[in-house]
Amino acid sequence: MAGPAPWSLPTPGKGGALASLRRRLNGRHALSVILIGAVLWSVLSADWTSGLIHGGGWAALGDLVSGFAQPDLSGETLGQAAKAAWITVVYAVAGLSVALIMAVPLALLASGTLVRHRRARLWGVSVSRTVLSLLRAVHELVWAWLFVAAIGLSPFAAIFALAIPYAGILGRIYADFLVDVPEAPLRALRTGGAGESVVLVYGRLPSAVADLASYTFYRFECGLRSAAIMGFVGLSGLGFQIQLSLNDLNYERAATFLFVLFGLIALVELWSTQLRRRLVLGVHRGQGVTS
Amino acid sequence: MKALRPVGIVGGTLVLAAGLFVASWGYILIDEWQAVSDLFRVGTVGDGWRFVLELAGLRDGPATPAFLEAGRWGDALALAYDTLVMSVLAITIATVGMALTAPLAVRPRGAVRPSGAGNTWRAAAAPALRWASYLVIRTIYVFARAVPELVWALIIIFVVQPGIVAGAIALAIHNFGIVGKLSAEVVEDLDPAPMRALASSGAGTRQRLLYGVLPQAAPKMLTYVLYRWEVIMRTTIVVGFVAASGLGREFRLSMSFFQFTDVALILLVYFLLVGAGDMASAGLRRLAR
Repeated sequence: MAGPAPWSLPTPGKGGALASLRRRLNGRHALSVILIGAVLWSVLSADWTSGLIHGGGWAALGDLVSGFAQPDLSGETLGQAAKAAWITVVYAVAGLSVALIMAVPLALLASGTLVRHRRARLWGVSVSRTVLSLLRAVHELVWAWLFVAAIGLSPFAAIFALAIPYAGILGRIYADFLVDVPEAPLRALRTGGAGESVVLVYGRLPSAVADLASYTFYRFECGLRSAAIMGFVGLSGLGFQIQLSLNDLNYERAATFLFVLFGLIALVELWSTQLRRRLVLGVHRGQGVTS
Repeated sequence: MKALRPVGIVGGTLVLAAGLFVASWGYILIDEWQAVSDLFRVGTVGDGWRFVLELAGLRDGPATPAFLEAGRWGDALALAYDTLVMSVLAITIATVGMALTAPLAVRPRGAVRPSGAGNTWRAAAAPALRWASYLVIRTIYVFARAVPELVWALIIIFVVQPGIVAGAIALAIHNFGIVGKLSAEVVEDLDPAPMRALASSGAGTRQRLLYGVLPQAAPKMLTYVLYRWEVIMRTTIVVGFVAASGLGREFRLSMSFFQFTDVALILLVYFLLVGAGDMASAGLRRLAR
């Protein structure tokens, strides 16, 4: 085998300079340039000069802070907060359950696990993946507004609005979880003559169930936040109350609802962290146990 | 004495999920029965269909639908540009905030001993300080991300003029809570060996951070930041409802004036923007590898 022929050596011309430039400008450098450029562009494009703060902006900030320091803890407000929190939970749970009904079949199709025929599988995967990405492209509040415009103020506007993008997200993640399982158990099942549906139930699901469950719970937490903002289009819940109180410049009341929302989310997040620790990592990592 | 074993968290979650499911749908079926029966009226289907026709511009008679006029596309693309600026500004602010706070939000580890610089009160107070900063910043993170972007926007516009910057700040606060938490966890899960090696060869805190933590953590943090940027792109339209900027403002106005073909145009541009953003983010992540 001859080595590189002398005539193929790069001549110090234009091509050589370009090649060496490209060698020096690897992906990381290009990335840094793009990111720094994007940041500079966004900072320079925004209008920072013409009265960024309102005339009474600083006074309003003071009122906000003092309002938040002393939330309205009267029985009436707390009762309304409890009711609003419950409605927020109802929307989140109902929306998520509709999302699950939509997501599971799409995820099965998108994972391509049930079909053995090659071309049919490719078609199923690409069509369902496209449907899933279309479902999750539009924000839930945009859906909510469209539904309210179409069918009026109904809890189902909130539920469907929540269900559509969440089905898109859940379906995609579920499909990924079902694909990313260890191969060995699946092969063992197939060698034993199992069909693809048996492989799914006894091979893939047991490997993926912890991830599936903990991700679903995480999505419930997001669903609570999404349900809370449905108030913006007139549907009841915590966001509705926050907006009403802010419109009345009643910061103390707004603070109460905000803190209830915070408490609700923090509670669910704490629960979901514990659940994930238990499920995905098998045991506690030692953090938090030794305190 | 294990007779009264408490239900584990997995069992508890299952019970909770089933209970919430039954209670929520029960509440809807009983308290909102009117809405349930309305849903299955023929009129509701007709209303929905009429709305779709209005979006498609098939009910307005002679007027040209907005999405068939080149000039309107130009307007909408200019608004998309504003929206894009808002999203990049938002993730920039959130990332800067994260970079300033995440090093202080890492759970203190027993393994790293304070350097044996004598038993001064400062050495004694250091662990307490580290715990205090960890707890305070983590609580701030939880609060920042518990409040949705839209609610932050509702509050922000009392202080900041509605516009791109107000929207970006609202988006940034919420995402600061998310990116901060994720980054702190990345640092917590790092391999401690390089830091220990640096420390044993006499590196100070700043050097350990720069040469031990950052090279290991940066790729993962960047991935998180880019993922959040994709989410922010989707959310800018919603924040624009309140912050009166970009596509969101126009969407709100067109909905209020029942100009549904304009709504359809904005949705189309929004679709394109989100798709382009996802592709750009995927490309950048590939560059990082």
